Amino acid sequence: MTPGEFFPAVQRDEASAAFFDAAARGELLVWRCPRSGDVLGPQVRTCPSCGSASLEPVLASGRGTLVSWAVVHQAPVPTLAPAVPYVTGVVELDEGAWLMVRLVGCEGHELAAGTPVSVRFLPSGPPQDQPPGEVLVAFAPAAAR
Amino acid sequence: MTGAAIAGLGMTELGKVYGRSSADLAAEAVRLAAADAGLELSELDGVLVSSGIKQDVGVNLASVLALGELGLLAQVNAFGATAGVMVAQAAQAIAAGAATAVACVFADTPLRPQRPAGSAWGAPRGGASQPRGLSGWGLASGAASPNILYALCARRHMERYGTTSAQLAEVAVAQRAWAAGNPLAAMREPLTTEGHQASRWIAEPLHLLDCCLVSNGAIAVVVTSAGRAKGLRRPPVHVWGYGQAHAPRQLQAGSAWGLVTPAVRSGPQAMAMAGIGVDDVDICELYDCYTYTVLVTLEDYGFCAKGEGGAFVGGGRLAPGGKLACNTGGGQLSAYYMWGMTPLSEAVIQARGDGGDRQAPRNDVILVSGNGGILEHHSTLVLSPHPGRAAA
Repeated sequence: MTPGEFFPAVQRDEASAAFFDAAARGELLVWRCPRSGDVLGPQVRTCPSCGSASLEPVLASGRGTLVSWAVVHQAPVPTLAPAVPYVTGVVELDEGAWLMVRLVGCEGHELAAGTPVSVRFLPSGPPQDQPPGEVLVAFAPAAAR
Repeated sequence: MTGAAIAGLGMTELGKVYGRSSADLAAEAVRLAAADAGLELSELDGVLVSSGIKQDVGVNLASVLALGELGLLAQVNAFGATAGVMVAQAAQAIAAGAATAVACVFADTPLRPQRPAGSAWGAPRGGASQPRGLSGWGLASGAASPNILYALCARRHMERYGTTSAQLAEVAVAQRAWAAGNPLAAMREPLTTEGHQASRWIAEPLHLLDCCLVSNGAIAVVVTSAGRAKGLRRPPVHVWGYGQAHAPRQLQAGSAWGLVTPAVRSGPQAMAMAGIGVDDVDICELYDCYTYTVLVTLEDYGFCAKGEGGAFVGGGRLAPGGKLACNTGGGQLSAYYMWGMTPLSEAVIQARGDGGDRQAPRNDVILVSGNGGILEHHSTLVLSPHPGRAAA
């Protein structure tokens, strides 16, 4: 594992249980607004197009393109110190939602706006942790393996 | 025209000021601003309070200052846009007859001895707890500080318009040259593009010298009616116009986040109220949490077309002797970080002609911006030493 693939352990709460259960199964759970049809990120609570708060969970394809990225050299919080340097970015899913995610399998210099990316599911925290950290959603350039 | 004027300015010691609370500094700044205006504290009948990173000063400031009956008292927070919002709110309260002399104050003490400035913003408030839930996933994903989020915005602009880090350096270099003339500036040694480029990466594409300082201290202004200000101790700084606009980050296809900011609405609003256009502006005091913020604000205000900010700031345009005096005190990049009070305080100093070695050649029309969140909140002021356009 390179430093950029280190994730501090993340614990679930009630609101995130379905999202993390899906991630553990290798699925990306997002929201869809039945009224506008917009697909929205997991943290969205209100549809920006129509104002509806009645969103339904839906599985995303896990494919998208890169909107922007940054190569982080100075850890913003102590828990991310083991991860630097890492690449973090904004991904636009094929369905339209933007996710702010870690980018793995790249160093940054090979990226460009529009680079095809696909989802990865990676463990968080040290493997010996009890309870174990949740499986997290990250992305990688689609060409990377 | 708004009928309001800034009559007093109070600034405490700024920067590495340790051992004093934010409330204590806020109280000192209000005292200094009132004294500067030639007003007794008891003549203030309005106070607007803005707290910074630490969020530890509020309406209790009125008790700290033992103020009497007030017609206006509130804590205001639109992050970096707050200073302009406070002045607009004060002007509106004065026009409505709710108050006659309103102190607007910002105070913050995020810097601690022996702790890096970078830890002030990133450190979780309320203790280090384990990342939890979707916000925990967000933190673990790594875009966990303004530095990184602004880096994402700058990168987006670079990808779309070909803006370069060397162009961002032009902003930092110009402001450092202005800071050389400001005795209050923290960083006054000359800076070159090479020096900027050699500074360490914080979050690519942002170098250390693309990022603002972090400072302790407090700054206050006193707003009164223009008529009242005329009879006070210092020459009035007239508020010709104000504007504010907000656009919470939209994370969805088609979002302009990072490329276009609410300045695009706030600026024209303020300039229309003032009856001016960008060609009339002599001095810009622009919120500069990052070099990129200055560049994108210039575009959104209409000083150049969208996407041309990089070329626009080139050739020393913003530097002393350049075509557009901008951030004449060194700004938050080189002088001191007091949120929107940094550009506002420097605008008052320039409008009064108190700039000393850094006084801009013309000061008839001064444009002041505030930017908050991650390019999500914006305020604009148009200030002038003249009561109206005819006198300018």
